[in-house]
Amino acid sequence: MNRTTLAAAVLAAAAVAYAAARFLHDAAQPVQLTLQFHPFVGAEPLVPNQMRYANPGGGGSFEVRDFQFFLSNIRLAGDTSAYAEPDSYHLVRFDGAQATYVVTLHSVPRGDYNRIEFAIGVDPAANRSTESRGDLDPNGRMAWTWDVGYKFVLLEGAFVRDGVRKPLVYHVGFDENYKRISTEFAAKLLGARDANLKFRVDLLKMFTGYTSVDMAALSNVKFDRNDAALLARNYAEMISPM
Amino acid sequence: MRRLAPAAASFAVLIAAIAGGGCDARRLRPTPLLGFSAPFVFGRFEVPADNPLTEESVELGRRLFYDRRLSGNDTVSCSTCHLQRLAFTDGRRTGIGVSGKPLAFNSMSLANLMWGAPHFFWNGRAATLEAQALVPIQHPDEMAEDLQRLVAELSADNSYRALFETAYGEISAAAISRALASFERTLISSNSRYDQFLRGEITLEAQEEWGRKLFMAHPDVKVSLRGGNCIDCHSQFLTSGFSTRLDGFSNNGLDDEEHLQPGLQSVTGDPAHRGRFKVPTLRNIALTAPYMHDGRFATLEEVLHHYNGGIRKSSTLSPLIAEADNRGPDSQQGTSLHLTELEKGAIIAFLHTLTDNDFVTEERFSDPFVRKRK
Repeated sequence: MNRTTLAAAVLAAAAVAYAAARFLHDAAQPVQLTLQFHPFVGAEPLVPNQMRYANPGGGGSFEVRDFQFFLSNIRLAGDTSAYAEPDSYHLVRFDGAQATYVVTLHSVPRGDYNRIEFAIGVDPAANRSTESRGDLDPNGRMAWTWDVGYKFVLLEGAFVRDGVRKPLVYHVGFDENYKRISTEFAAKLLGARDANLKFRVDLLKMFTGYTSVDMAALSNVKFDRNDAALLARNYAEMISPM
Repeated sequence: MRRLAPAAASFAVLIAAIAGGGCDARRLRPTPLLGFSAPFVFGRFEVPADNPLTEESVELGRRLFYDRRLSGNDTVSCSTCHLQRLAFTDGRRTGIGVSGKPLAFNSMSLANLMWGAPHFFWNGRAATLEAQALVPIQHPDEMAEDLQRLVAELSADNSYRALFETAYGEISAAAISRALASFERTLISSNSRYDQFLRGEITLEAQEEWGRKLFMAHPDVKVSLRGGNCIDCHSQFLTSGFSTRLDGFSNNGLDDEEHLQPGLQSVTGDPAHRGRFKVPTLRNIALTAPYMHDGRFATLEEVLHHYNGGIRKSSTLSPLIAEADNRGPDSQQGTSLHLTELEKGAIIAFLHTLTDNDFVTEERFSDPFVRKRK
């Protein structure tokens, strides 16, 4: 073996070792998972302040001025892996410069996740606390008072039928309306790189999901527990993968 | 030897860094403001990284706040329209500055400015306290001062030169705005009877407690809950507007469609923001009459009367105001809360628990040019 061959062999071995080390290193690095939420009213994308959506439970049409909700306790699960985002309280809303709302999980350990879980609402422990965690803010718009906790879902707007305009106010809270949602995927959520999941948020489901609601008959829901439970059972179905 | 070269180079860099640090240390460094805190229930607050609170910046800001040299003719200071004894308001419908012409807006109280809507002025046209501070100084009707002239004027004053040098390393318009903002950030009102109640130190009188419950409730006839609806815009502990996006701006029914003023729309251009103004803190509200962005209401009774029967409808009226009625949504008597006189009285009694006597007498917030009379 001459010197050139020896040098080439050493270089090749070094290259293989480097590639192996890099592979092992990368496999141990956490990745980023983004969750994109796209708002819809039935088949149509949500456009705020436009009197263009039909009352799903009767005549008349409605517009949405504000739609916000807490999405909390995001977890990923697989056969051998589990990850829970810390301080996982996101105030999802669609009135910014972009029509979608994006949650970024910045540092997810690699794993064989094929299921994502989150909740609409605030879990009972956090709902009774005045601590600011994630987007929870006891002085925020979603705070309902110290005694009651947070609004989980807020939808405010207006309803028109036969030329008569009526305000729409739906504030849904209370511990029993904390709804966990679990979505299973056929493929693994994370590969070697950063990944992105898209979800549809259909606010019409609040009025059609399980029980059909006529906005003319029920134009506001606040502290009545039966009405709140009815909308909550409906909104439990409003987020689905797209 | 070759292996040593990088090490030698790093060593040289290290020495240079130490030397640089040494150089820097010869300049006077500002002293971080220690022991600065705020009540837990106020929530998180943020001081900009490029303008940390220091003893020198706050002291400098306090002097500037009370110094009439900040106006073009040396007759008006910030404190002309923001008097400590009135929780930094002026008791006028709208402020009056050097020109003597009434200004467009009511002078806002300066308390707990690190919380609530992070947009300043009634229409939200300044994004930071720093940006806000330079606006009245230059406004022809308010202080009518030229910033270059002001910098020259302050540079001629030895005590200012020393304070600016330590706090910011220079006298400049930016340093003036930062110092004023630093002083304003320290204006925390947190010892009212309501604060003492929140800390569990006292209980409120029965009428005040009733008023507190009404303040914190949106009415819901269906569950027999009566409410004054205040919390729909004024957060429960801070009593300010909400800090998220533009949620701290509201159209509270002062004017009908035809007379609606631009408000937030003049900043965002969005027609949905017409007639929406900044929701102010209600801390010390009993001291800050007259009320609303144009000072149209002289008393708290007039304010309550407005919410209880004076609401003017318009396209951007808050749905929460339009919908709130203690007689139920089918009541045919227009938009009104329909509170009783006793209920209105209870809410006003609660509003008086927001008065913080320590805040309006605190030495650190007072005019430094006035010698202590003791």
